[in-house]
Amino acid sequence: MAIENDESGAPAPERRSFLGLISGLAVAGISTVLGVTIGRYSISPAFSASNEQDWTDLGSLDEFAEGKLVKKNVIVSQDAGWGKFQTQRSVWVVRKGETVKVFSGVCPHLGCSVNTRADKFICACHGSEWNVEGVTQAGPTPRGLDTLEFRVENNKLKVKYQDFKQGLASKEVLG
Amino acid sequence: MAESKQNKLYDWLDERTGIKEITREALDEPIRGGARWAYVFGSLLLFLFAIQVVTGIFLSLYYVPSADHAHASVSYIQKAVPGGALLRGLHHYSATAMVILAVAHLAQTFLFGAYKKKRELLWCAGVMMLLIIFAFSFTGYLLPWDQAAYFGTKVGTSIAGEIPVVGSVQQRIILGGNDLTTVTLSRFFTTHVFLLPLALAGLVGLHLYLFRRATPAGPFHNRDDKKIERFYPKQAFKDSVAILICFIALVALAIYSPAELGPVADPTADYLARPPWYFMPLFQLLKYSPGKWAIIPTVVLPAALFGTLFLLPFFDRREERHPLRRPLATVLLTLIIGGSIGLIFLAKHQDRTNPEFADKLKRQEEEMRDYFTKPFEPQIIGAAAASLASGGKALEPPQAYAENCAACHGEKGEGAAIFPALIGVAGKPQRSKEDLLKILDNSKAYGLKSPMPESFPKISPEDKQKIVEWLMHLK
Repeated sequence: MAIENDESGAPAPERRSFLGLISGLAVAGISTVLGVTIGRYSISPAFSASNEQDWTDLGSLDEFAEGKLVKKNVIVSQDAGWGKFQTQRSVWVVRKGETVKVFSGVCPHLGCSVNTRADKFICACHGSEWNVEGVTQAGPTPRGLDTLEFRVENNKLKVKYQDFKQGLASKEVLG
Repeated sequence: MAESKQNKLYDWLDERTGIKEITREALDEPIRGGARWAYVFGSLLLFLFAIQVVTGIFLSLYYVPSADHAHASVSYIQKAVPGGALLRGLHHYSATAMVILAVAHLAQTFLFGAYKKKRELLWCAGVMMLLIIFAFSFTGYLLPWDQAAYFGTKVGTSIAGEIPVVGSVQQRIILGGNDLTTVTLSRFFTTHVFLLPLALAGLVGLHLYLFRRATPAGPFHNRDDKKIERFYPKQAFKDSVAILICFIALVALAIYSPAELGPVADPTADYLARPPWYFMPLFQLLKYSPGKWAIIPTVVLPAALFGTLFLLPFFDRREERHPLRRPLATVLLTLIIGGSIGLIFLAKHQDRTNPEFADKLKRQEEEMRDYFTKPFEPQIIGAAAASLASGGKALEPPQAYAENCAACHGEKGEGAAIFPALIGVAGKPQRSKEDLLKILDNSKAYGLKSPMPESFPKISPEDKQKIVEWLMHLK
């Protein structure tokens, strides 16, 4: 339907822009309230504190043969939104005489799983390699394997699992 | 200078997008008889649909459509996530507002005779949209998986099963089996968040297209027919103000009267199911329809009503639009709306005056409040799997349990004869950690119907704590 002119005549320009301004403000107000609410709601889990893990029993010291690279799974507890999840992470244990080292099974480069080949640690994803001491031998890894805090009680090896930031030259706890 | 730069940018954009014409087309819609507050309902409904889409998308950020986790995830949104209660409240209340405004929009169109000549298909699309809005309510109601959701849907799907001939097959298809399970929840979820929104969005598009093509019907008395105003600015202003008031009201409701969430669904509970208020008229009629007559309110009446509404413009072809000169139509509409409101009040009144129902509904309300005000407790996941990793054994019960509780409740909480099993007890209503400790302290004082030996003085508080911790993880 073509209309040449409004019969009431064209509205005065001030009135036109005043009503338009009120309409625009209503839309802007609603969008702001919704936007801020949704923003807070969406990013909130990003800032929840990471959980401190308990000491986990890895078994008797005698289980770890001299110089062998032994993989152990530990149970970690994760607070994730609506649930408290218990999941597993791998650690590597190397015993040399009286000294023990416990390494995180997470590659410090980009977070793949660390594995072993012969008597060294490797990460198959990008070809990083470490010796039994966790010292870098080859590949793009920015640092040596991450060591985990441990203690021996009544001949039992216990470890405190932690996650570390990836891609840094120095070891930094995540969270 | 700055203005001409702005104009240049606008021209540049227009050359590539045609934005000037789109804006003109959108804002210069001619409104016969001029802008009116009476015309805000359509825009309000479009706004509410947008709110539902936006809040719904973000609710699904944390929601888990599984019978095991749905309730925990809704509880998390409601109680723990910043802004979660507001988003859920907005979703809840604008759903209700949509039902009210859709009925108002339809009643107005009916009363003003705006469904006649050239607008028949526009009206049909509108009636379809009202049906879809009810389907949204029905499917959305189950998603929180609390007591009201579970039992309400149980009744609703049983009604679907009562339809002659196709009923039982239809019910199995809706449920995805012969019981209300996690499979049912998945289908309701998919219907609610994918199928219905697509259908409604498509119909909204069709409705708007047909509306713009037919142009607004204008006043029913035809006197001001020659006066024509553009949508912008006057009608746009009226619509915006109505939308703003509606939004403020929804936010206020969501904050001061949060959307409810009761304890997790417990199929063994003795629960008195009541539908949301807009299904109450049919619920009330159901009381007067014994046995095979039940299909009158559940199937025949709704089908007749929607069928009549849908076909209305095809058998009512007179040109007269004035409500007072269409007495039959006007009286019918008043009767249907007045009757529905009357039935809602009658249903509420009967629940209030029947001591048994009143008592039970009051207790359910208290249980809901009780759960609602409790702080959020995360669901424990994977304890059993984790214990497998620790050597293949389930978590051992604490010593104090073996000595004091196992004789009746079984070594692993499996229960025996008259003694209830404790497996999964933490998931039941009114069995939080605090509740379990109180029951252990004095189950008679706590109010158990068949109490345990009154107290266990020889169990130390630390041991009680251990027993309860173990119970919380027992699955």
